[in-house]
Amino acid sequence: MGSVVAPLVSIVAGAVLGVTTLMGVISSQTGAPDQSPANAEAPALEYGTVSE
Amino acid sequence: MSTERPPAPAAGTPRRSRLVAALPAAWAFLLLLLMLGPALGWGYVLSYDMVWVPQLDLRSDTLGLGSALPRAVPSDAVVAVLDGVVPAVLLQKVVLVGALVGAGTGAAALVSERSVPARLVAVTIAVWSPFVVERLLIGHWPLLVGYAVLPWLLVTLRGSAPGRPLPLRVPVLLLLGSLSASAGLVTAVAALAAGTRRGDPRRTLVLLGWLLVANAPWVVAGLVQPSSATSDPVGAELFATAGEGLLPGPLAALSFGGIWNAEVVPTSRTGWAGVALTAILVVAAGLAIVRLARGHAHVTGLAALVVCWGVGYGLAALSWAAPGALGWLAANVPGGGLLRDGSRLLGLAVPLVVVLVAVAVDGLLERLPDRATRVLVGGVLVLVPLSLMPDAVWGVGGRLAAVSYPAAYDDARDAVSIAPVGDAVSLPFVSYRAPVWNNGGHRVLDPLGRYPDRPVVVNDELVVSGTRIAGEDPRAAQVQTALEAPSPEARTAALRAAGVSVVVVEQLDGYPVPAVAGTRTLDGDLTVVELGPAREVSVSGARRAAMSTAWAAWVLVPSAALAAGWWRRRRGRG
Repeated sequence: MGSVVAPLVSIVAGAVLGVTTLMGVISSQTGAPDQSPANAEAPALEYGTVSE
Repeated sequence: MSTERPPAPAAGTPRRSRLVAALPAAWAFLLLLLMLGPALGWGYVLSYDMVWVPQLDLRSDTLGLGSALPRAVPSDAVVAVLDGVVPAVLLQKVVLVGALVGAGTGAAALVSERSVPARLVAVTIAVWSPFVVERLLIGHWPLLVGYAVLPWLLVTLRGSAPGRPLPLRVPVLLLLGSLSASAGLVTAVAALAAGTRRGDPRRTLVLLGWLLVANAPWVVAGLVQPSSATSDPVGAELFATAGEGLLPGPLAALSFGGIWNAEVVPTSRTGWAGVALTAILVVAAGLAIVRLARGHAHVTGLAALVVCWGVGYGLAALSWAAPGALGWLAANVPGGGLLRDGSRLLGLAVPLVVVLVAVAVDGLLERLPDRATRVLVGGVLVLVPLSLMPDAVWGVGGRLAAVSYPAAYDDARDAVSIAPVGDAVSLPFVSYRAPVWNNGGHRVLDPLGRYPDRPVVVNDELVVSGTRIAGEDPRAAQVQTALEAPSPEARTAALRAAGVSVVVVEQLDGYPVPAVAGTRTLDGDLTVVELGPAREVSVSGARRAAMSTAWAAWVLVPSAALAAGWWRRRRGRG
């Protein structure tokens, strides 16, 4: 029994890490662009931006 | 679900080799190297509220005798003293590294009776956390020091038996954990939740005394300072716990995110990865609660962890649901503005989640057939939080980096130091800067507020998404009015009347600086103009006495307690 469970668990564990890594990489590449000042020559010196 | 079993952390702790015991610290260190990356290079990390300068002086404002709210008391005074011993450029690294390693190893200590994979998962959750990343980026380093102290305080207090003196490390932890008002609140909640015992009022009183001493500098400075200590209620609306992409505020807070400032949220948090991390933590915590309820696992000091979670998460959720209530508090209750940043105390929620996830991890690993599979699955679980927030790597995607100040700052410090007696003002009169030399234009609180060797009146008005949040400092308002005078001579006269003898001017596009009459003592990227002798801004004797007492208590009482404890131990050994 153990000889069947161990490979199965390993495959599932690998798949989980693969999926979460893919999810993390895609999310970090496809999120909203970084805030950039409307005028690069005269950036707004604000404390921050609240999300819409 | 038993919550009050006598603490016996060592009894159930499996014997481990030194190598295995060192794994959590090694893993925490590796994680911080990955996260901080370029920020550990030579130079200063300057990001939003994190401003370190080569030499911070002990000035009246760093000691809590300024006219603004004591937001950097006692942290600035501690840095001002320590940077006389350790160069500030190294001290900042020590603080950042110490905070992250402390948080990671503290989390592992909270679950010291659990398996190695569970302890490593605890380290990952505590360090590779949206709370850590967001507070690092926004520069709340005293809060992160408090975050690192939190698990150690919980571990120390839960292991201390009623009727016996509090462990000697408690006053040290309380001091370290109270370097700012917010950090002091976090530490106080944890200390009272874990340290009080029914039927032992003396212990509670001692703990309250320690807390009072540890927080005395900012509490007393707040009580005796000239402004009203209330804040603009608009701040509570703007600083409320916020959603992160697909996650509304309360769900983001479940996985320790939800900071108000969208600019410091890792991009991965706004996508499905943020949802996945939240879901994983919630499911794991749920499974652990089932195990605890069935008696399959036990957590020492669970009640204290639940109280901490309730306060940290509850406040974050309240600020999302009813920012108006916190705004009313800020506007009407002195010091109420401390709570307006809803997710600032969210670090309190981390210890309970760390412990529950560790219970769930052990529950899962116990079902696996052999050691090799347990190691494999344990390794995967340790890495999952990293995989879901990969953009926290290498200075959070390059957003944290070490930089050097241009030589103009040293020149300005020298020029200001020879100006007549009086305070300085940095112009343009706005709180933040985004200099190109700071990692390509990253925002930072104006470093000139700390760079000179004398107090600098800074504008404490904040602008968030175009909305102004009024400041509290009456002298900042005076300076603002002076700068609106009709002529350079009138401005200079008004500034001198406000106690300002010198101004440092930086030319920033879009922020014209009104001319002032005076003697230019430095020209270049920064211009220094001496205005002449200024009216003396006096601090009342009562205020000085109050602050002296607070600082004396802060320094002497813990020192005396440590000395007494050391002496007792020595005598006991003898």
